[in-house]
Amino acid sequence: MTTGSTGRRSPFASAAIYLAAAAIALYSAFPIYWMISSSLRPTQEMLTAPSLVPSRLTLQYYYSLLAQTDYPQQFLNSLVVALATVAITMVLSVMIAYGVTRQRIRGKKAIVAGMLYAYMFPPLLLAIPLYTMFALVGLNDTLLSLVISHLTMTMPLGVWFLWGFFKAMPFELEEAAMVDGCTRLGAFLRVVLPLSVPGLVTVAIFAFLLSWTDYTFALVMIGSDANKTVPLGLASMIGAFDLRWGDIMAGSTLIALPLFAAFVMLSRYFVQGLTAGAVKG
Amino acid sequence: MTRWMLPTFLAVGAIATLVLIVGPALYAVSLSFYHMTSLTSEPVFVGLAKYADVLSRAEFWNALVNGIVYAGVSIVLQVVLGIGFALILHQPFRGRALVRGLAFLPYLLPTVIAVLTFKWMVDGSLGIVTILMDDLGLPPIYWFETESAAMWSVILISVWLWTPFVTTTFLAALQTVPSQLYEAARVDGAGPVRRFFHVTLPVLRPILTVIILLRGVWMFNKFDVIWLTTGGGPIGATEHLPILSYRTAFALFDIGAGAAIATISFLFLSLAVFLYFRAFPMEDDA
Repeated sequence: MTTGSTGRRSPFASAAIYLAAAAIALYSAFPIYWMISSSLRPTQEMLTAPSLVPSRLTLQYYYSLLAQTDYPQQFLNSLVVALATVAITMVLSVMIAYGVTRQRIRGKKAIVAGMLYAYMFPPLLLAIPLYTMFALVGLNDTLLSLVISHLTMTMPLGVWFLWGFFKAMPFELEEAAMVDGCTRLGAFLRVVLPLSVPGLVTVAIFAFLLSWTDYTFALVMIGSDANKTVPLGLASMIGAFDLRWGDIMAGSTLIALPLFAAFVMLSRYFVQGLTAGAVKG
Repeated sequence: MTRWMLPTFLAVGAIATLVLIVGPALYAVSLSFYHMTSLTSEPVFVGLAKYADVLSRAEFWNALVNGIVYAGVSIVLQVVLGIGFALILHQPFRGRALVRGLAFLPYLLPTVIAVLTFKWMVDGSLGIVTILMDDLGLPPIYWFETESAAMWSVILISVWLWTPFVTTTFLAALQTVPSQLYEAARVDGAGPVRRFFHVTLPVLRPILTVIILLRGVWMFNKFDVIWLTTGGGPIGATEHLPILSYRTAFALFDIGAGAAIATISFLFLSLAVFLYFRAFPMEDDA
């Protein structure tokens, strides 16, 4: 059971492993299959005992979701917030992580320690003061307030991950470039950044994931329908008078699909990010 | 330019850390010393009165215990399931890459979606789980309506969502265990179970210590699963500190008491982490 290198397995052990693997697959994927298949079922099937496989597929829930609800606006809000969060996270965390690894200065450890500590903050320990501060300066209930809130999660993640990444990168690379006549900034832009692309991709992915899936901060910060993100919008559908499960499952599928697509294309960055312990969730 | 680049980067870093992390945290702590009836009203300094008030309430202690139960049980289940999954997905078999991918998927789902899908599956009349259980002649479960079932339901959803974190990190770690160790153990006549407890676990102990720490911290702070399913009910059966803090600050509009609860919660967590480090020292490879 514990080695990956055995070539001589009894048929019984083989069967047990396939059975266990099938159980893992079923446990992990069935709810997702059920979400997607429910979003594609005809209405009359949703209102009777559903079969495991839909008898025919229809996009009616997607049409009604996109045509009759605020979903398109919410999707756009989610996208704007997530992309802005990713962009700002990248700029800030690259600058901070690079500065901390390359400058000899007392107290720089405090920045990294502060970032680590931020991992442990209860969400409300940040959400309550941020909400109060935004209300004081008139930023409450704006997408910008949500971007700033998300940065409190994504920036520590980015700094922590890139800190490890830059630390492992030999300083001689930049030195060589500077000997060849590059300025420090030139060496940073032409040598360090291109070599850091894998780390940057990982940070971008997880910043996007955190922002895109966030419910807690959106619940505190956003009040008006016009500024709701998808997680907030979907959650408020469930409190509605008539439960439109088909619409809800269609909306859920639409917001999960970009994440699944990104995972299929970039799975090694996801694994890398998790194993570096860089990720909060 | 060359001389100023790194200091500029560090200055940006210091400002960002102050504005986004240190500032709000200190502000939260200072809010807990004031009484405000609304956001626009003048705050009145009340010292430690909010803390005394919070600590004297039964619902605070109830929330603390619930939070420990919720975090504790879901971590144990995540770690046991995650290690089990990783051991199986470490074996060579056809279709392994696909199953590894599927086992990761729950981690990608927004909590809201996992909750909504779960609620749809256990819907009282049309949910697939309800129907299957009825077909099998099992009595219906009131997933969120009874006190005992509600806690298990929120734990179940949390375990499903975050087991992939343990599976993936442990699986990656398994691949770093030198195979000579297994060969040696096998020569000594150790079976699979003994090889796991005497080779795998000792080698992977440091990474496991980190995994449990991270998951423990995050589960203790997790707000959304419980808020979206039971809202802390029924009758406070699943209310933990994040919910109590949210409800106090934003439903009862007692910002000071809400901030006090968040602060106490953070102090408690810091103490727990400190004791954890004492019990399981980590070598510093950072």
